[in-house]
Amino acid sequence: MPRKVILWAVAMTALLASIPLIVHDTFYLRVLTEAVMWIGLAITWDVLAGYTGYLNFGHGAFFGLGAYTTAILMGHGGWPFPLAVAAGGLVAAVAAFIAGIPTLRLKGAYFAIATWALARAVQQVALILEITGGPDGMRLPPFLHPQFFYYAMLSVTAAVFFLLWYLLETAPFGLKLKAIRENEAGAMALGLNPARIKIQAFILSACPAGIIGGIYAYWITYIDPASTLGDIITDQAVVMAVFGGLGTLIGPVLGSIVLFSFKTYFWAYLSDYQVLYLIILGALIAFSVVFLPDGLWGSILSRTAKRPLVPTEAPQPDTKKKASEVPNG
Amino acid sequence: MNRAPPAVNLAEGLRRPASHGLRIPASGLRRGSRSDPDINPIRSCRIMLLLPQAIVDGLLIGGIYITIAIGFSLAYGVMHIIDFAVGEWIMLGAFLGYYLNQWFGWEPFLYLPIIFLVFYIVGFCLQPLIHRVLSGRRGNPVLMGLVFTFGLALMFRGLALTGFGFFSRSISSALAKGSWFFQSGNFFVTIPVIRFAGLSYALAVTVGLHYLLKKTDFGLAVQALAQHKESAGLMGINAKRVSSHVYGLYVAISAMTGTIFGCIFSISAQMGPDLTVFAFFVVVLAGMGYLAGVPWAAFLLGFVQSFFLIYLSPAYTLLAVFAILYAILLISPTGLFRKGV
Repeated sequence: MPRKVILWAVAMTALLASIPLIVHDTFYLRVLTEAVMWIGLAITWDVLAGYTGYLNFGHGAFFGLGAYTTAILMGHGGWPFPLAVAAGGLVAAVAAFIAGIPTLRLKGAYFAIATWALARAVQQVALILEITGGPDGMRLPPFLHPQFFYYAMLSVTAAVFFLLWYLLETAPFGLKLKAIRENEAGAMALGLNPARIKIQAFILSACPAGIIGGIYAYWITYIDPASTLGDIITDQAVVMAVFGGLGTLIGPVLGSIVLFSFKTYFWAYLSDYQVLYLIILGALIAFSVVFLPDGLWGSILSRTAKRPLVPTEAPQPDTKKKASEVPNG
Repeated sequence: MNRAPPAVNLAEGLRRPASHGLRIPASGLRRGSRSDPDINPIRSCRIMLLLPQAIVDGLLIGGIYITIAIGFSLAYGVMHIIDFAVGEWIMLGAFLGYYLNQWFGWEPFLYLPIIFLVFYIVGFCLQPLIHRVLSGRRGNPVLMGLVFTFGLALMFRGLALTGFGFFSRSISSALAKGSWFFQSGNFFVTIPVIRFAGLSYALAVTVGLHYLLKKTDFGLAVQALAQHKESAGLMGINAKRVSSHVYGLYVAISAMTGTIFGCIFSISAQMGPDLTVFAFFVVVLAGMGYLAGVPWAAFLLGFVQSFFLIYLSPAYTLLAVFAILYAILLISPTGLFRKGV
């Protein structure tokens, strides 16, 4: 199974990379760029939520931090784009490290609300500060080259996907995270250091979000607290990951593709009924939680897994057993 | 003497919110600035002179926040659901009150029983779905509940925007016209009657809920369920039925609050998320699921808001709200009283 998936992913990436050679329509490239961006945000959110079991409702803050850092460095400091984006990722990582130490001690609902409050506080700070332009937002020097941004977004997202695939699905790190998700005290008893591993996961999830935010800022050329630091970013990433299936890497990718195509179709062809989009999206989310609790990918997996006569899957005890075989770290 | 420069600055900052359009109209403040010339014109005194008004405003706003959060806290205590849709329930209740008021033209407070009944039934019928979400075989019921109610909130907001449009309106009430004015020496306080009515409503709901939970069999069942679900089931309590009633109660209280809110401030289809923020703040400060803490936390929120409005810029209010919320979660996740679930 894993090898098949990785082959699929490589094929997908190659396919996506070759699209600009065929399609020259700027509109479709823009749509694809944003789709790839959402894939990146959804999989990075899933690192902490699906694998580690910590619901970060402030993921958008890291995206926004990256965007603002890039904008400030490029706009006020005159930095070149690659350096500014790297700095955006670094700022997001440092912020995750600093915020993670106290926040990751909280569990369940408390962690969710705390990260959400922190993200909203960051948004309020951006509204007040002068360097961020307050509610007016910031403008960046425009660079009209859709292919460039498409490849930038795609390379970052693909790199993140393969890195996460390596770390979470093949390396012991993923098993450590799952051990913490299933039973934190148990993981500690096995010699793991949950505090450190959780921080690592938090940074792993925040840093790419910052980089993606940086690329987004230069691509859109205009950022303001409402659109880049608001709840919208987090909400969409959460919805896409949950709809696709938590705790997997394929699920969020699938979820973002389905939901984003739906959204784009709506905005492009049914924009008179924009409000209808909210209703349908809300209903879709609510019903997918009720009827597809494992998400799209989870349901596909369980349907295909039922075919063999001997029921072989018992995922939870299995992961625990594997976690016990992991050497101390 | 040394105090003079900061006092001037503060007075400048003090005049600013009064002149700009505010999201929450501070009617008392405007009154105060109108009667300014009569007052002893020592500038540093003005800060002190507004203090009674700030305190009263805080109390009056805080009253409404009690009812925004108390049902939510009850629902969390019994079902452990974090309801993202709390603000949307308030919004829907406000619009039902608005339309009833448009059609019949009576005093909005008279509709409260109708709104209570309608939304009680809605909540009662919705709860089985929520129960299904929370007790799914998939782990992480917290997330599932959050995402489910988030979906509900989006749906409600979309429906409201479709049905009611983007404009903001207000519910007209005969009480909204009057206000009481008290003055003793240089100190003065204005109490708008409608806000006082709102506070009375909030206290009545609180007392009623207290009676229901402490003195009736139903309340005993709710308490048992909040303490230990399985044991309560063994004692013959129908967990599903009681949860449905609790959810209905929560939705009904929130919806009634919406109507009161619409009389005092204004209503629009997009007001939900802001109210959700305040409900979260109050419930976390009180301790999740600890009802007795809700009034204190709500008054604290009212004070934060009124003091920021009068003494600092209102731009900092939300920052303060989120910063306090985050700090409380880090220092004492179970609330100010350390009694949360």
